Amino acid sequence: MTTMSNKGSSLKGLLVVVLLVSNILLTKEGVTSLPICPNGSVNCQVSLGELFDRAVKLSHYIHFLSSEIFNEFDERYAQGRGFITKAVNGCHTSSLTTPEDKEQAQQIHHEDLLNIVVAMLRSWNDPLIHLASEVQSIKEAPETILWKTVEIEEQNKRLLEGLEKIVGRVHTGETGNEIYSQWEGLPSLQLADEDSRLFAFYNLLHCLRRDSHKIDNYLKVLKCRLIHDSNC
Amino acid sequence: MDLWYLLFTLALVCANDSLSASDDLLRWPQISKCRSPELETFSCYWTDGNFYNLTAPGTIQLLYMKRNDEDWKECPDYITAGENSCYFNTSYTSIWIPYCVKLANKDEVFDEKCFSVDEIVLPDPPVHLNWTLLNTSQTGIHGDIQVRWDPPPTADVQKGWITLEYELQYKEVNETKWNKLKPELSTMVPLYSLKMGIDYEIRVRSRQRTSEKFGEFSEILYVSFSQIGVEFVHCAEEIEFPWFLVGIFGSCVLAITVILILLSKQPRLKMLIFPPVPVPKIKGIDSDLLKKGKLDEVSSILASHDSYKTQLYSDDLWVEFIELDIEDPDEKKRVSDTDRLLSEEHLKSHSCLGAKDDDSGLASCCEPDIPETDFSASDTCEAISDIDQFKKVTEKEEDLLCLDRKENYESLPSLANTDAQQPRVSTRSGNSQPWPPFAGSTDSASPLIHAQLSHQNTLTTTDFYAQVSDITPAGRVVLSPGKKSKMGRAQCEGCMEQNFTMDSAYFCEADVKKCIAVTSHEEEEPRVQEQSCIDNAYFTTESLTTTGINLGASAAEVQAPSSEIPVPDYTSIHIVHSPQGLVLNATALPVPDKEFNMSCGYVSTDQLNKMMP
Repeated sequence: MTTMSNKGSSLKGLLVVVLLVSNILLTKEGVTSLPICPNGSVNCQVSLGELFDRAVKLSHYIHFLSSEIFNEFDERYAQGRGFITKAVNGCHTSSLTTPEDKEQAQQIHHEDLLNIVVAMLRSWNDPLIHLASEVQSIKEAPETILWKTVEIEEQNKRLLEGLEKIVGRVHTGETGNEIYSQWEGLPSLQLADEDSRLFAFYNLLHCLRRDSHKIDNYLKVLKCRLIHDSNC
Repeated sequence: MDLWYLLFTLALVCANDSLSASDDLLRWPQISKCRSPELETFSCYWTDGNFYNLTAPGTIQLLYMKRNDEDWKECPDYITAGENSCYFNTSYTSIWIPYCVKLANKDEVFDEKCFSVDEIVLPDPPVHLNWTLLNTSQTGIHGDIQVRWDPPPTADVQKGWITLEYELQYKEVNETKWNKLKPELSTMVPLYSLKMGIDYEIRVRSRQRTSEKFGEFSEILYVSFSQIGVEFVHCAEEIEFPWFLVGIFGSCVLAITVILILLSKQPRLKMLIFPPVPVPKIKGIDSDLLKKGKLDEVSSILASHDSYKTQLYSDDLWVEFIELDIEDPDEKKRVSDTDRLLSEEHLKSHSCLGAKDDDSGLASCCEPDIPETDFSASDTCEAISDIDQFKKVTEKEEDLLCLDRKENYESLPSLANTDAQQPRVSTRSGNSQPWPPFAGSTDSASPLIHAQLSHQNTLTTTDFYAQVSDITPAGRVVLSPGKKSKMGRAQCEGCMEQNFTMDSAYFCEADVKKCIAVTSHEEEEPRVQEQSCIDNAYFTTESLTTTGINLGASAAEVQAPSSEIPVPDYTSIHIVHSPQGLVLNATALPVPDKEFNMSCGYVSTDQLNKMMP
């Protein structure tokens, strides 16, 4: 008799647990907002247009921050040091073949362009991490520069993730090699000579501004082409 | 200011010098700016300087070099962008690639600049500005418009190659300062709450989204509401002061005030609206009476209040009195004590009757030359106003008594009615009146006695008790009317009345014993001594003591030397004759029976009954 009652109670407890777990799982699914599913999409996910919108917003934000960082750095450290680069030292992403003007950008295939953008973002992953850490060692670095470098590094990661999603959506064929440029400028950021060190920072920030502008432009072109049918 | 003026003149002079010697000084050609309007082409502009005039007209060249190039190249187009300019078309333009341009001739380099094209973007101004009316306010004074424009035609916004943001500025035609709106991406901007009767000017400029520099302003757009035929009612811009409302409000306030004033006049309504605050009041007594000084009315009212009687003497702990209330019709013939009291009121000033020397503190508020009886029961001057009246009356009675004694027999019949004068203690401090019953019972006594008694009674009406002070061989019983009577006697005998307190109206003081002793042994009719019968019958104890001594001295002249026989406050009845007489042992036992109350001169009726056979 007691065993029967024990069995019954244990069964009840198990049932309760099962109900709870299922409830949790179901509600967990429900917690995440389910966006509107685009037509024909297998997975009910964010639409491509919305992905591009977010990507463009992020890229614009990153470019905005890097412009400000460069301007602040230039104003504070570069004046009077002759950093005006007559011939800017090549950025590490120069090895990547990127469209240099509008015609080239329009002629390139969108998938290739996306790949280029992703490659660039990947190339900047490492430098941004080091930049955020090395900037703090600069003497009397302004607070704005410090937090902006950290912010850029974060947003860059997010943008990369978003673009990888887009690539996953857009690419019909194989994804392609993961190409990116290796950055080897870390020793220059850690030079003992203050002037040389600052010049290395100046160059890196200059390259960052330029590449963020490139990425922003490419994404806008892609968005207008793919989403708005070249009629933004 | 003077310093600045001096510096300015110096600068002018130098400039003049420099200008005058401008031929010697060369101004080098400079690259003023390099600009790309749409991120596809760019052009550079320079200034000549005066070099061109001075030296041989060597051509100035603009050389450029891309980063990857090895040497300098010359400008491809000097014409398209105008004079002293170099135009790079799309084939020569590469974005995100650093360029260097330099201005030079064959011999020397004048200027050099390095940049990349994405850094020098300055868009063209927007075109095709126009506006439409969105809606108007209900009053027709303000309206909302929407301004639209097209992006610069050179900028390829549609393909997303360049992103522009626009800044709109507007102002009224008469104003000088432009109102700026926040830069926006859209080419449509609403303007809210514009005044319909005024014309506006609008202009727009654009810039690349992440840049800071704006391009040139567009052409000014003129906004005039009358053009589109909108009905405009010329209303005053500012809200005028609402005089009408102010007038109405003011009139209402005035009306309310007038109504309130009118209501306050009418007592009924006033009672209704503003009920009176209850103030302490005695029934029947109007405060106006007191203010006017009509004390007789007040006292009559007070007399009707039993509570007042007890209150007046309630705090008088020394007083034990029996309130006798024996009706006597004859009494009515006499002026009531109250009246007598009150009639004397005006004789004495309302100044408080204080003693020269007393502990009650009344001396401070009293005239020093008016020694008066001090009543300890009265703490304030005003409180003893009635007492003062009483004093006055008693004093007058004393005088009367003194005078009556002179014409004792003459006025005997007239005074016969006074024998039964009841000692109404209602208006005076109550003291026991042990003798009145006794006095009343001696109706069969000799007229003299009657007279005496009447006198005594008269005095007892004002005084508290009567005591037998002497028995004449003729069978007369000389009753002294207690304190007052003693006083009166003393007065008649020349004694100065002493200052008595209300509670000790019957003798307790040994101060007057001398006086009494003098009077007690007197076998003659008490003579009235004028000097003693003064109006002011009240003396302080001090004066009494002094006078006592004097009296003692004077008495010695007048009569037999007084023996210091303490006059007891009571007299025992030794022999009771037939109704004709009553022999009283004047020299009563100093220590009477223990039954007797040894308190000051006060014999209770019970004791009296015991004394009486």
